Amino acid sequence: MELKFKEVIIEALEIEDREILMSDKFKEFEEWDSLAQLTLIAELDDQFGVTIQSEDFKKIQTLQELFDHIQKVQ
Amino acid sequence: MRSHNPFTLTGKTILITGASSGIGQGIAVACASQGAKVLLLGRDLERLKETIALCENGCDHGMISLDLADDTKIKEEFESFVKPYAPIDGFVHAAGISPTIPFKVMKKNQVLETFQLNLFSAITLIQTLSKSALKSSEGMSMVMISSVMSEVGEKGKSLYAMTKAAMVGMVKSLALEYADKNIRFNAISPSVINTPLSLKSEYRKDDAAMKLVQSQHPLGLGEIEDVANAAVYLLSDASKWATGTNMIVDGGYLAR
Repeated sequence: MELKFKEVIIEALEIEDREILMSDKFKEFEEWDSLAQLTLIAELDDQFGVTIQSEDFKKIQTLQELFDHIQKVQ
Repeated sequence: MRSHNPFTLTGKTILITGASSGIGQGIAVACASQGAKVLLLGRDLERLKETIALCENGCDHGMISLDLADDTKIKEEFESFVKPYAPIDGFVHAAGISPTIPFKVMKKNQVLETFQLNLFSAITLIQTLSKSALKSSEGMSMVMISSVMSEVGEKGKSLYAMTKAAMVGMVKSLALEYADKNIRFNAISPSVINTPLSLKSEYRKDDAAMKLVQSQHPLGLGEIEDVANAAVYLLSDASKWATGTNMIVDGGYLAR
């Protein structure tokens, strides 16, 4: 599932040209903005059937935290 | 000096959608203050009652709770509601939603839902209102609340912009199609207005984003009354020679 999760992140943020680590703080990515956030939330909903509430999303910093949250609520 | 005030709406009956809040509510209040009987259409009857309470001559007005997402219901219920109030002199379609959806993840159901509320519902209402039995012998004025997004783009707003640009396109053709029936069609395209909904926008929480939005509006951000006053003009006899137009009310946003 981690592999699929990373694929979704790469696809949503259009960062096919580089490696990502689960420890990455994705909100610090150069590509990150409000539109990227909407795209990511929609893609995660599509691919994992998980709707992330904005309050929860605000607290999440790293990809690992995002991944853990998805597993928890799935 | 003329005794007749061409800007008055006295004696006119105006139907307004989206009247339970924001721009629709402001238009209802402005129309009533200019002497019109207003017929309010919205989802929530309690909130429509709040609008009626803000209107002058509250007891003269009418309201109907109707979900514009449901076209079948509009067809079933709207005509019987509006018939006792005929003739109708004006219509304002202020109902609508403004989703922010990245194009990449846009779904067909989101497209259909937004078009239904912003445009398709207006089509059904206009088709009913333009029937000769409902129309005033002195003509009719139909006003669509569009947006500056009908003219320019914004990231994440492609769906909203599609509906608002389509609305302006519709207005121009209907102006020609209905001119011989003395029905005028015009759009109003506001930019950022201080509505309860826009006050909750993401950019309002970000100082830099808010400063940027403000700097794009030489006259500052708009108030509901700025759009409502434009609507009053287009509904009144003062605009009897105006049809097929898109009135930009944007504090200078599109001027540069």
